[in-house]
Amino acid sequence: MAATFLMNRVLQSLGIAIFALSSARAGEDMAFFESKVLPLLQSRCYECHSHEQKIKGGLALDLKSGWQTGGDSGPAIVPGDVAKSHVITAVRYATPEMEMPPKGKLTASEIQIFEQWVAMGAPDSRVKQTAAKSARVIDVEQGKKFWAFRPVRNEPAPAVKQAGWPLAPVDRFILAKLEANDLSPAPDANAYTWLRRVSLDLTGLPPTPEDLGRFDASPTSRAAAVDRLLQSKAFGERWARHWLDLVGYADQIGTSNNVFAEHAWRYRDYVIDSFNADKPFDRFIREQIAGDLLPAASPQERAANITATGFLVLGDVEIVAVDKLKMEYDLVDQQVSKIGTAFLGLTLGCVRCHDHKFDPIAQTDYYALAGMFRSTDATYKTDNGVWSSVHKTELPETAEQRAEREPRLAASAARIRQWESERDNANKEKATLESQIASAAKEAKPELEKKRDELSARIKTLNGQIEHAKFFAPTAPKAFAVRDREKPGDMRVTIRGNPYALGDPVKRGAPGVASWGEFPPIPAGQSGRVQLADWVADARNPLTARVTVNRIWQKLFGEGLVRSVDYFGARGEIPSHPELLDHLASRFMQNGWSQKQLIRELVLSHVYRMSSSQDAAAGAKDPDNRLLWRMNRQRLDAEAIRDSMLVISGRLAAPSGGPALPLEFPENVASLSPKAVNPPAFAFKKVRPVQDFERTIYLPVIRTATQPGSAKLRDVFDFTQPAQIAGKRAETAVPTQALFLLNSDNVRSRATELAKQLIDTEANTGARLEALWLRILSRPITSTERDDAVKFLESMPADKAWVELSHALLSSNEFLLRL
Amino acid sequence: MNATTISRRSWLQRTATGFGALALHELVQAAQSPLAVKVPRFPAKAKRVIFLFMSGGPSQPDLFDPKDYIRRMHGQAISAPINTNELRVGTDKFLALATHGTVKARGQSGMMISDLLPHTASIADEICMLRAVHADNNQHQPAALQFHTGVTADVRPSMGSWISYGLGAENQNLPSFISIHPDSDTRLYGSSFLPAAHQGTKVIVPQDAKQSPIDYLADISGDAKAQRTRIDFTQRMNKHLIDQTGTDPRMEGMIESMEIAFRMQTATPELVDISNESEATKQLYGVGGKDTDKNARACLLARKMSEAGVRFVQVTIGGWDHHGDIRNALPKSCAASDQPCAALIKDLKSRGLLEDTLVVWSGEFGRTPWSQDLSGTSPIEKHGREHQPESFCTWMAGGGIKPGFTFGETDDFGFRPVSGKVHLHDLHATILNQLGLDHEKLTWRHLGRDFRLTDVYGNVVKEILA
Repeated sequence: MAATFLMNRVLQSLGIAIFALSSARAGEDMAFFESKVLPLLQSRCYECHSHEQKIKGGLALDLKSGWQTGGDSGPAIVPGDVAKSHVITAVRYATPEMEMPPKGKLTASEIQIFEQWVAMGAPDSRVKQTAAKSARVIDVEQGKKFWAFRPVRNEPAPAVKQAGWPLAPVDRFILAKLEANDLSPAPDANAYTWLRRVSLDLTGLPPTPEDLGRFDASPTSRAAAVDRLLQSKAFGERWARHWLDLVGYADQIGTSNNVFAEHAWRYRDYVIDSFNADKPFDRFIREQIAGDLLPAASPQERAANITATGFLVLGDVEIVAVDKLKMEYDLVDQQVSKIGTAFLGLTLGCVRCHDHKFDPIAQTDYYALAGMFRSTDATYKTDNGVWSSVHKTELPETAEQRAEREPRLAASAARIRQWESERDNANKEKATLESQIASAAKEAKPELEKKRDELSARIKTLNGQIEHAKFFAPTAPKAFAVRDREKPGDMRVTIRGNPYALGDPVKRGAPGVASWGEFPPIPAGQSGRVQLADWVADARNPLTARVTVNRIWQKLFGEGLVRSVDYFGARGEIPSHPELLDHLASRFMQNGWSQKQLIRELVLSHVYRMSSSQDAAAGAKDPDNRLLWRMNRQRLDAEAIRDSMLVISGRLAAPSGGPALPLEFPENVASLSPKAVNPPAFAFKKVRPVQDFERTIYLPVIRTATQPGSAKLRDVFDFTQPAQIAGKRAETAVPTQALFLLNSDNVRSRATELAKQLIDTEANTGARLEALWLRILSRPITSTERDDAVKFLESMPADKAWVELSHALLSSNEFLLRL
Repeated sequence: MNATTISRRSWLQRTATGFGALALHELVQAAQSPLAVKVPRFPAKAKRVIFLFMSGGPSQPDLFDPKDYIRRMHGQAISAPINTNELRVGTDKFLALATHGTVKARGQSGMMISDLLPHTASIADEICMLRAVHADNNQHQPAALQFHTGVTADVRPSMGSWISYGLGAENQNLPSFISIHPDSDTRLYGSSFLPAAHQGTKVIVPQDAKQSPIDYLADISGDAKAQRTRIDFTQRMNKHLIDQTGTDPRMEGMIESMEIAFRMQTATPELVDISNESEATKQLYGVGGKDTDKNARACLLARKMSEAGVRFVQVTIGGWDHHGDIRNALPKSCAASDQPCAALIKDLKSRGLLEDTLVVWSGEFGRTPWSQDLSGTSPIEKHGREHQPESFCTWMAGGGIKPGFTFGETDDFGFRPVSGKVHLHDLHATILNQLGLDHEKLTWRHLGRDFRLTDVYGNVVKEILA
C-alpha cells in the first residue's frame, strides 16, 4: 500500500494522473477507504458536512457526489491531485482561513490517510443517494415581477364617494381605500395642533407665539406657513439629519481610539445646504456617488461635489485593521451596502458571500457593484503604527475665500514663529542653567533647579502649542472624499467574502433585476461610479424614487407606505397603498426630483390635516392604522426635544455650521505627532460654551462614547447609533428617559431660563400662564388648567414656583409628542 | 379596554420597582411582556450568566499558557508562524519573552495557573480552562464588539440582550441584563434591533455617597415634596390628554415610566447597596482592600443581582492592555481582580448557586508570546506584549461546565491552537446551549433576514460539558 502511495506521489509529481486501476487494486482501494478514510470522515467531518447534520459551506462529505460537487470553493477533492484538493489544504492547516476540523488539527497519521486516499484517486464506495437540495438559481426575469422591481407607473387618482373631502390627489388614494373598507377619515385636527405638527415636521421646532397669532387656518394661511417653514434654514437643519441617519455620519473616523474626523462637518453642512437649496434629488445622488468625477461650473460647485463623496467614507470606516487588504474589502462592502440601503432599499451586504437568499440578486451582482468601489481610493496607510486614515481632497477656493483665509494663515505662522523663538530662547537659557547647576555650590542648587524645572515646563507647553498650531493651521480647506484609483478594473468574486480566495472576475455593472437594459460601458481608466450614479438616479430605476418618497412619507405620517423603509425586498413589507406610492414617485420625478415640492403637497393635503385622536370603531377595524384613517402620533426625536427646549427658553443660538469638534482647544486633542504609534485623537475635556445652545445637528457626533455635554440627550432619546444605517429610528419609552426629564441639568436649566423670562416680561400670573402654554404646548391654556396651575404655583416655594411649573410642562407628554 | 392594554398594565405593575423598560412597538403588538419568562428549548443547565470581562486582553503566556520554547529563547529572535499580510508595530523583531513569574499545576486536576493569581489558583478545581480560544480581530474595539455581539463591526444585539430575549427576566422587578462598569462603547450592552426591554442597564457601584449608580438619579430640585407635586401636575396633564384624544399605549407607557423613574430614585440605591452583606463576605471579595475595592464591590453586586434573578450580569474589569513594561504592570492588574473574581466563584458555590449560574472570565483577546517594544530601544525586561486573537485563554465555571478541566492546546509558541480550538462563535453557542437555547434557532427577523448571535457559525463545545 505504501508503495502504491509512493508511486502515485511520484507519478503525480510528474503531472501524470492515475485513472486506470486494475480491478484487484480497486477492491484493495475500496477497503482502504472503508477501513481508514470513512471512519475519519464520520468522526471528524460529518458533524458539519453531512446531510444528517449540517452542510456547512455547502459541502457534504457523506456522499461521493458531495465532495465531487464541493461547496462554495468548488470541488473539495481533485482525485489524484493532493495539491489541488481543498480537503487536503484544510486538514493540513495550510491557510489560516480554512483550517479543518476547526476544533483541532488531525494527527499527522490521520492527515496522511487523507493524502494517501486523494493520491489514490479518492476511491469512494458509497452509493447511497441523498436527495441533495437543488441549487437555487437566480431568475432575473421572474424576479422583475415582484412589485418593487416593476417599473414605476403614474397611477391616476381613483374616484371617491365623498368628493368634497379631497384637497389633493393623495387624498383620493387614501380616501378610496378607506371607503372600500367602510372607514371614514378622522375629523381635522384643530388649527393649533396642525401648525405645531407642520412646524415640528418641517423644522424640528415648535411655532412661536407670533407664528400662532398670525395663523388663521385658511388655505392661504396654511400655504403661507408651509412656504415660510420650507424657506427657513431650520428646514435643512432638520431634514439633513434624517439623511445623516442613512450615512452613519460621525465626527469620528471608525470606532477605535477616538480618531477625529476634523473635516466631516463639511459634508454635514453640504447636506444642510442641499436640502435648503432644494437640490434635485437625482443630482444629490450623483454628487454623493461620483461628485469628484462630475464637471463643475465654479470653484464652489467643485468643492461641493468633492465634499459630497464624503457619503462613501463617513460611515463607520475601520482604519486600524492590521490586514489592509481585508480592511479595504470591508470598506467596499460597507459602500455597496450603503448604496443598497440608502438609495435602493436593498440589503446587499449578505451578497458578498453568497447569492441573496430571498431576493433575486446574485453574488455576481454584488461584485459588479463592488468593482467600482474597489476601483476607488478611500483610505491610505498613515505613518502611525498600523493605522490608516480616510482619504482627504483639497478643495478649490474662490478668490474671496482665499483672501479671507490667507491673513489668518499668516497670523498663525507668525504666532508659531514667535512661540518657536520663545522656545529656542528658553532652551538656551535652560542650557546655561544646566551648566550653572553643574558648577554651583550645594546650597545654590535648589534655587537654580527650580528655575530650570520651570523652564522645562514652559518649553513643554510651547512645544504643545506649536504642534497644535501647525496641525490646525488654516491651510487650504480639505474634505473627506474619494477619488478613482490609478488602475481601476473589474473585481473577482471572493469565496465567502475572503479576499485571499478569489473566483472569476465580474464585469462592473448594476443588479440585473433592477435594470432596464445593458449597463453603459465604463470608459477605460475610470471606476464606473459616474455610470452607477446615472443608473441609481435614472427615472427608469424602479427603486430609487419609490424608496425616497416612501421615506419622506414616513417622516410626515409616522409610518411608510412600505413600513420597512430600508428594505423593499421579498421579506420586507408590501406597500399599503401601492398606487399612491407609484403616483408619488412619478410626480416626484416629473417635478424634477424636488423634495420641497413633494413635502409641500403632502403637508397641504387633507390627510395631513386629520386628527390623531382614537376612534373605537375604526380602531377595532384597523388597529395599526395601516389605511390611515387618522394621523399617527410621533414622539419628538432627540433633536426636536432639545432644540424645542432651546427655542422655547429663548436660548437657541443662531445657526452656525462649521467644525463640530472643539479641536481649537489643545486639551481636546492628543497624539498629534506624525510619528506617534496612534493617530491624532480627541479627548473631550472642554466644550465651546455656545455648543450648549446650538441646534443638535451641529453638535459633535461620537460613535463609541457617551455624547459630550448637552448632546447626551441624544443617547437617551433613541438617536441612531452612528455606526448604523437606519432610515427609521427606534422609538422607546424607557424610565431612563423619564429620569432624564426629571433630573437632568439640561431640562432644569431650560425651565429656569424660561421662568425668568416669564417673570421679567409678563406682568401677572394670568399673562405668564398664557405665555407659558403658548410657548411650550403651542396652544392657549384652558380654564381648568389655569385653576390647577394657580393652585400649583401657590403650593410651591415662591422663588421656585415658575421653574417648577415650566419644568412640569417640559416633561409632559403633550410637549414630547407631536399629535 | 382591550386585552393588550390589560396585560401591558399588569406587566408594568410587575416591573414597577425595577428599571424595567418597554419598547413602544412591543406594547402595541405583544400580548405578552417581552421580559416574561420563556421556557427554554431543552432542559437548561444554567439559568443565568455572569460574564467577567477582562477588558484589554490579559496575558495568557504569563498567566495560563507558558511555553518552554519561549522560556529557552528569552530575548532572542524566533521565527513565528505569522500571517504575513498583517502589519506589525513594535513586534517586528519577534523576540521571545519568557513567562513572568511561575505558572504551575494547581488543584487535583493540575490546571496551570500563575503565582500572580493565587486566588484563582485556589479555585482550579471549580473552573474549566479553555486554552485555545480564538477571535477574528486584533484591535480592542472590534474584538470587544465581537466578544459581546458576535460581529467586529456594525451594531447588533449583545449577548446579554439575546439571552434576555430568549429567556425573559427571572425576576420581573429587576432588569434582565445589567452591565457593571461597562467600557465606553455602548454597543457592548445595547439591544440593537431587539426590543429595548432587552438592553443592558449600565450600573456604577458607588464607592462613596457622592457616586450615583445610574445617571440622573438624584433629584435635581433638591426638594422631594416639590418634585412629587411637579410630577403630579405633569401626570394630571398627561391623563387629561388621554381623556381628550383617546388611549394610546405609547402615552400610557410614558406615564408609567415616569412613575417607575420616580420610584427608581429611592429603589436603585437600595438595590445596589452591599452594606448589609456580612463582613466575612465583604472580606472574601476584598471590599475595602487597597487594590481590590472597586472590583470587589462590582463582583459582589454581580452575585447579589444574579441571586436576585438577573439573567445576565456583566462586570468589566480593565487594565489588561500591557504593551510595555508588562513585568511591572501585570502583577498590579492581577492584584486588583484575582481575589474578587475567585471570591465570586466561592461565594456562588457556598450558596448553592454555582450549579445553575454560568460564569465566564475572558478578555477580548490574549497577548503574544513574543515581545513588543514601541520605542524600539528599551531592554527586553521592559517590553510588553501585543494583542493576540489567534489564541487566548478563557475560563468558565458552573452552569454544567466540566470543573477542573483544561481544554485545548496551542503550538510551541503559544500562538496558534493545535487542538481544542474554540472560536468566539463556539463559545457563544455553548453559553446559549447551557441556558437551554439553540443558537441556530434563537433568531430575530430584521430587514428581511433572521439574525443570530452566532450569525452563520458556531458549534457547541461538547467536550467541556459536564
